[in-house]
Amino acid sequence: MFGWEFPPAQAGGLATATLGLVKGLLRSDVAVTLVVPFPMDAPTVPGLRLLSTAGEFRRARRGGASLWRAADDQLRVWRVPAPLHAYGGAAGGAAPDQVSVHYQPGSKTGVLADRSVTDVIPAANRGADVYGVNLMADVERFADVAALIAEEEPHDVIDTHDWITFGAGISAAAASGRPLVAHIHATEMDRSGEWINGAIAVREREGMHAAARVISTSSVLARRVTQVYDVLPDRIDIVPLGIDHREEPWSASRATNPFGTAPVVLFLGRVTHQKGPERFLEVARRVADFVPRAHFVVAGTGDLLPHIIERTVELGLAEQVHFTGALRGAEVKHAFGMADVCVMPSVSEPFGLVALESLRAGTPCIIPRDAGVAEVLRNAFKVESWDVEEMTDKIVAIIRYPELLAELRDRATAELLEERFGLELPARRTRAVYERVVRESAAPARDHAAHYN
Amino acid sequence: MTDVCMYMQVHQPYRLRRYRVFDIGTGAPYWDDATNHGVLRRVADRCYVPTNTILAEQIRRSDGAFRVAMSCSGVLLEQLETGAPDVIDSFRDLVATGGVELLGETYYHSVTSLSNLDEFTTQVRAHTAMVERLFGVTPRVFRNTELLYHDGLAGQIAGMGFRGVLVEGADHILHGRTPNTVYAAVGDSGLRLLPRNYRLSDDVAFRFSQRSWNEWPLTADRYASWLAGVGAGSAHIFIDYETFGEHQWAETGIFDFIRHLPNECLRRGVRFVHPSQLAARDPTDTLGVPWATSWADTERDASAWLGNRLQQAAFNRLNRLYEPICATGDGVFLDSWRRLSTSDHLYYMSTKRLADAEVHSYFNPYANPYDAFVAYMNVLQDLEQRVDAVGAAVGARGRVVELVSAERAPTQPVTAAPMAAAAMAATEQPLVWPRKAKTQHATSGGAKGGDAKGRSADARSADTRSADGRGAEGRSARRRPAKRPSEA
Repeated sequence: MFGWEFPPAQAGGLATATLGLVKGLLRSDVAVTLVVPFPMDAPTVPGLRLLSTAGEFRRARRGGASLWRAADDQLRVWRVPAPLHAYGGAAGGAAPDQVSVHYQPGSKTGVLADRSVTDVIPAANRGADVYGVNLMADVERFADVAALIAEEEPHDVIDTHDWITFGAGISAAAASGRPLVAHIHATEMDRSGEWINGAIAVREREGMHAAARVISTSSVLARRVTQVYDVLPDRIDIVPLGIDHREEPWSASRATNPFGTAPVVLFLGRVTHQKGPERFLEVARRVADFVPRAHFVVAGTGDLLPHIIERTVELGLAEQVHFTGALRGAEVKHAFGMADVCVMPSVSEPFGLVALESLRAGTPCIIPRDAGVAEVLRNAFKVESWDVEEMTDKIVAIIRYPELLAELRDRATAELLEERFGLELPARRTRAVYERVVRESAAPARDHAAHYN
Repeated sequence: MTDVCMYMQVHQPYRLRRYRVFDIGTGAPYWDDATNHGVLRRVADRCYVPTNTILAEQIRRSDGAFRVAMSCSGVLLEQLETGAPDVIDSFRDLVATGGVELLGETYYHSVTSLSNLDEFTTQVRAHTAMVERLFGVTPRVFRNTELLYHDGLAGQIAGMGFRGVLVEGADHILHGRTPNTVYAAVGDSGLRLLPRNYRLSDDVAFRFSQRSWNEWPLTADRYASWLAGVGAGSAHIFIDYETFGEHQWAETGIFDFIRHLPNECLRRGVRFVHPSQLAARDPTDTLGVPWATSWADTERDASAWLGNRLQQAAFNRLNRLYEPICATGDGVFLDSWRRLSTSDHLYYMSTKRLADAEVHSYFNPYANPYDAFVAYMNVLQDLEQRVDAVGAAVGARGRVVELVSAERAPTQPVTAAPMAAAAMAATEQPLVWPRKAKTQHATSGGAKGGDAKGRSADARSADTRSADGRGAEGRSARRRPAKRPSEA
C-alpha cells in the first residue's frame, strides 16, 4: 500500500484515512506493507499506536529507504526519504498545490515535520515551486523506489492512495505484476476548484485507469470520478471511512472552555479554498449579530490564512475569532471539546472525516449537504455550504436551545457507534475488493515462503 | 356474522416556511403557502377526489349497505375551502349519499388534549361547528388526533355530547382481549370505546403493496374473507385516507381493491356499520387506558410527539405562550398559536429509529428533525416577541409583576429521559396528564412573567450591540443553563 505521512499529524485528511484503513485491515487479517515518503530518517516513529500490540519495530536498512516492521510481520512500513507532504507535512498545513509542497534535497533535520514549512522555506522560494519541477521529480523518484520495493516485498495486491502515490502504484504493479487498486479520497477539482493543475489531473486519470478497480469514499466522489475521468461506475466500489471504535470516545474528556460559558463555534481544517474559511467568517459575522458573546475558533493553517486574518479584522471580529494554527493530537481533541458546534463550510468535501471526529468528541456538526459524509450520517445539520444564512440559523439555534445541542450530541454519539462507522466494516469491504482483483487477475500467485527464505 | 366499521382520517397541516433566525421580527409569514397548496392539490387529485368518487359509487350501488366513517380536520377543510373548493364539493357529494358518518375531532388536529383541556374543548367545538356548516351534520362519535386517548379524557369528551371514541387497539390496553368489540370507558361517562384492529388495518395501510409480505398481492376477495373470519364481532378498520392513491399508489391496485371490497364483503354476509351504531351497543367489558395511547409508531403512545427533548422543549414553549396570547385578545395571534398546536409540527421533530422515521418523513417538509425544531422555535420566538410587544402596550406589565411576586413556583415542563419514550408514558405520564397540565399551565404564567421582566434590561443591552435591535441573545442566554450540559 502506498500512502502518506504515517502516522498522521492532524485531524482528518488522507493520512488519518489511511491509518484507519491500515488498522482495520490488520484486524481483518490482511498483512500490510505500507510505503510512505518521509522527510527524514527519524530513529523512532512517535505515537504509532499500531505498534502497541504488534511489538517493537525492528529496523532494517535497504538502500535509501528504511523498513520498519512489527514483530509478527503483519505490518511493515517502508519509509522513503522524500519530503513530500500531502497537505503539508506540517500538521494542518496547506494543500499540495500550495506553499508546503516543497522538496528540499538533503534535508535531514526533524524540523520540517514539526513546524509549518512556511517557517522553514524562505519566503522567496514559496510559490515558485507550486507544482514545480521539484514536486514532480520527487513523485517520479518515489515511483522509482516503489518499483524496487515491489520487486523485493511479497504482496498480492497494490493499493494506492490519491494522485501523489498513483505513479508509485503503477510502477510497483509493473514491477511485480500484481493487480492495482486505486483508492481515491479527493480529486484535483475538489481541492482546487476552477484552478486545477493539469499535470495532477493527468496523474489522477492515469492512476484510476491503470487500476483494476477504484475505491471511492463516497458516491458523490464516485460520480465526479465518472464524470471527469470516464471511470465507469461498475469499476468503482464505494467504501466510506470510519473511526476506531476501540479508541476511547473523545467526549469522555471534554475540554474546559477558555471563554467561560460563552458559546464556541469551531472551524477545523486546512485554511484553503476547498475548506471554505471565508464562508466561516461570513457566518461568524452573522452569528455575532445574534449572539454577541460567541467566540469562533479557526483551527488549522493554509495558504489563505493571512487573507483570513485580514478579513477577520475587516469584519470587526478581531476579538472574537481566534486562530490556533495547526493542531495535532491532544490539541485537536481540546479544540473539539471546547466547541459547542463544529462547522464545515467546505466548497467541496468528498468525504469529510472531520465530521466524524467532531462527533466522536461529542461536538455536533454542520456539514455540507453534498459532502460524502452526509450520505452516511443522519444526526447532523446538512446545509448548502454556500448558504451562510442557513448555517447561521442552525448555529444560533444550537447555541440558544440546550435541548437541541443535547439531542444532537446524544443521537450522533450513538449513531457513531453503529458498525458502519467503525474501521472493521470498511476494512472488510476493502478486503473484498482486494480479493476480487486478485481473483480476476491472471497472474499466478507468488510463493511468499520462498521469498522469505 | 361480522360487522365492519371502516374509518378514514383526512388531514393536512399548515406547514411552516423554512423560517430562519433572520426572519424573526421582520413580519415574514410563517406558513409555506406554496408547499401547502401544492401538497393539497396533489393529495386531492391522487387520493381524495378519486376515492370519494369510488366510495360514493359503491354506497349508491349497495343502497347504503356499504358505509364508512370519516373525520376531516378543520385545518384541512379550511385549506380546501380557500384553495380547492372543488374538493369540498366532492366531499359534500359523498356525504350526501348518506353512507358516510362524519366524526368529531380538534379543529387543528392538535395535541392540546395532552396539555390544555379548555383549549382542547374549544377546538373540538370549532370543528363541530365547521362540520355542521359545511355538511349539515353533527358528529356524535369522537376521534382525537392520531387516536390519542386516555381515561382522563372520557368525561370531557362525553361532556361535549359524544357517545363513543375511536381508540388504538394496543396490546397494552387490551391485555389479550379482542379488539373486535365495543368497550365501555372507565368511569361513569357512558362513553363507548371502539378499539382499532391494527393488524387488519395495517394490512391495507402499510402492507398492501409490500412485495416481501407473504400475503402480497392482497385482493379484495381475500381481505373480505379475513373480515368474515372475525366472526361474531365488529372489525374496526381505521386508516389514513391518504392510503388510497398516496401511501399506496394507484399502480398498486388500491383503487380496484376498495372498489371491489364492499361487494366481496356483502357477498359473504359481512355488514358495514357506522361508529355511532356501534356506540349504541352494550359494551362487552370496561377498557382502561391509563396513559395516553395512540396509533402512532410502534410504541402506540404519545412519544411520537413528545418523545425527545426537542419535542418537549417546543411543546412547553408553545404552552407557555398560550396565556399571554389569550391576554392580548388578538385573534391573529391565537390562530397562529392554534395552527402551531397541530401535531404534525412535533411529529416532524421525532428522532426515532429509521423504521418509524420513514413514516415520519411522509409529507414532511424537513430533511431531518433538527431542521424542523429550528424552524418551529424561530417562529415561536417571533410570536413571543410580537405578543410581548402587544402585552406591554396594553399594560400587562402590572399583572405580570403580581404573578411573579405571588408565586415563585418553578415551571413544570414536560420532561422525560430521552430514548425512553415508552417509559415516559408509563411512569412519568402525569406530566402530560390533564390535571397536572393545568397546574403547569397556571404556573407557566409565573415563569413567563420572570422572563418578560428580565427581558427589558437584556433587550436594552442587546440593542446597544446590534443596530437592528433584535435583542434576541438576552433571551436565549437565560434559557441556556449556567453550566454546559457536559459539565453538569
